[in-house]
Amino acid sequence: MNAQNITPRGQAVAQHTLISIEAVSKGYGTGNANLAVGSVDLQVGRGEFLSIVGPSGCGKSTLLKIIAGLVPQSSGTILIDGRPVQGPPAKLVYLFQQYAKSLFPWLTVEQNVAFGLDPTVARSKAERHARCMDLLGKVGLAASAQLYPYQLSGGMQQRVAIARALAADPKVLLLDEPFSSVDALTRLELHDLVLSLWESTDLTVVLVTHDVEEAIYLSDRVAVLGPRPSTVTHSYHTDLPRPRDPVATPAMERYQLLRIELLERLLSGRRPKP
Amino acid sequence: MSRYAFLVGGGFVVILLACAEMAVRGGFVSPYMAPAPSQVALTLASMFSEGRVLAPLGQTLGLLLAGFTLACVLGIALGLAMGADERVYNLFDPLVEIIRPIPKPALIPPLMLFLGFGAEMKIVIITMAAFFPILINTIGGVKTIDPVVLQTARTFRVGPARTIFQVILPSATPMILAGARVALGLALVVAILGDMLASNGGLGFEIVDMQRAFMLPEMYAWVVVVSLLGLLQAFLFHRLESWLTFWARNNA
Repeated sequence: MNAQNITPRGQAVAQHTLISIEAVSKGYGTGNANLAVGSVDLQVGRGEFLSIVGPSGCGKSTLLKIIAGLVPQSSGTILIDGRPVQGPPAKLVYLFQQYAKSLFPWLTVEQNVAFGLDPTVARSKAERHARCMDLLGKVGLAASAQLYPYQLSGGMQQRVAIARALAADPKVLLLDEPFSSVDALTRLELHDLVLSLWESTDLTVVLVTHDVEEAIYLSDRVAVLGPRPSTVTHSYHTDLPRPRDPVATPAMERYQLLRIELLERLLSGRRPKP
Repeated sequence: MSRYAFLVGGGFVVILLACAEMAVRGGFVSPYMAPAPSQVALTLASMFSEGRVLAPLGQTLGLLLAGFTLACVLGIALGLAMGADERVYNLFDPLVEIIRPIPKPALIPPLMLFLGFGAEMKIVIITMAAFFPILINTIGGVKTIDPVVLQTARTFRVGPARTIFQVILPSATPMILAGARVALGLALVVAILGDMLASNGGLGFEIVDMQRAFMLPEMYAWVVVVSLLGLLQAFLFHRLESWLTFWARNNA
């Protein structure tokens, strides 16, 4: 497919690199002998929605945690806006797969969202309340502001976690399989919520998932990570029109081709050769 | 507990008391050694009505509260530091492991040499008894916090003070309270013993004093007062625990 079909956001991607991952590896044990992440090179454009897919245990979550500054790499550099990552960078939020653990159970929904606010930006109580309610409105949970996480379903909890992440006013959102532990219908709803939030801002999103269809549906580009020690083996521009539609988009020929191609790549290591 | 189960258990207690009453009245047990429960109850009622209970109760309760509060503050503070920072842990751990196994009543006589027989000595020994269970559980509570919780604080770039007071402390609260519950029981034991050994008032002293005077209904009445104090204390603590950690039980 040619460049004309790339969305305007997609074109902006090619022009400005926001995150630059250069020869990053992660090993464990003495001398990092047990290598989980091989040597990963990957660029993420400003405003891009990038997915990283790979078999389980390939170190994709570890790579995302390295980008987030939560786990130190063994070698290589990560640059965000030209600055090397040393510890969690400003304007970057990591959204955990385990939303139930990540939300604070002793805080109400609103208080959880307020935790993400930068205290130097939203100073007054009224300001913080207004900002939280605005964000909860965006994720459709304004009516649940005073409830506690345990009173919410899994999908609602993950939406609270998304609102809390947005409260930090991030430029980069890192999603670690955030939709993997909710039911299928809720997952589709969350996909469209994340897409609408991304489309209405200049957010750059990196999603790690083992779900090929989820990666195609959401992303501008899908990078494939091989088995341990993992490297980026392939990268595909999805070139699918936006806004994406949960019924129409998966019916497109391009979507089907990508799906087959990606599944072939992921399964090639496991399937016996004919 | 269901209402039915409570009736069964409560009924059993009533039956046992009735048996004790009959054993004394029937001459099976010497009334000088063990007066009938009804007599103890009457003695207790008259002690209350004459206002003889309040002063010793207030004295012991005051020391208990002071020592327990001090133990909570010190135990939680050191526990947070030891749980969160490996260097602090390595510095204090051997000392803690040496002092912790000492039965605290054994330290009352040496403490008397330094602090005398007054409130200071009793508060210190109550604090020492209550300190260790709180400390150990605070360390455990901090060390077992899920990494996701701490990483959440880190990705939002929350500073050390907010991380400690808004993330670590609440996460560890259920375990800290479990330690504090054990500590409160130990504190009462040591408070009563301190009264007994110092012989200058308080509930423990009253029990010993009445026994020496051979005023046995009074002695048993004081034992009942101490039991009621323990019961009340456990009940109030349970309420505090439910209030502070309502989210932990619902979170399972």
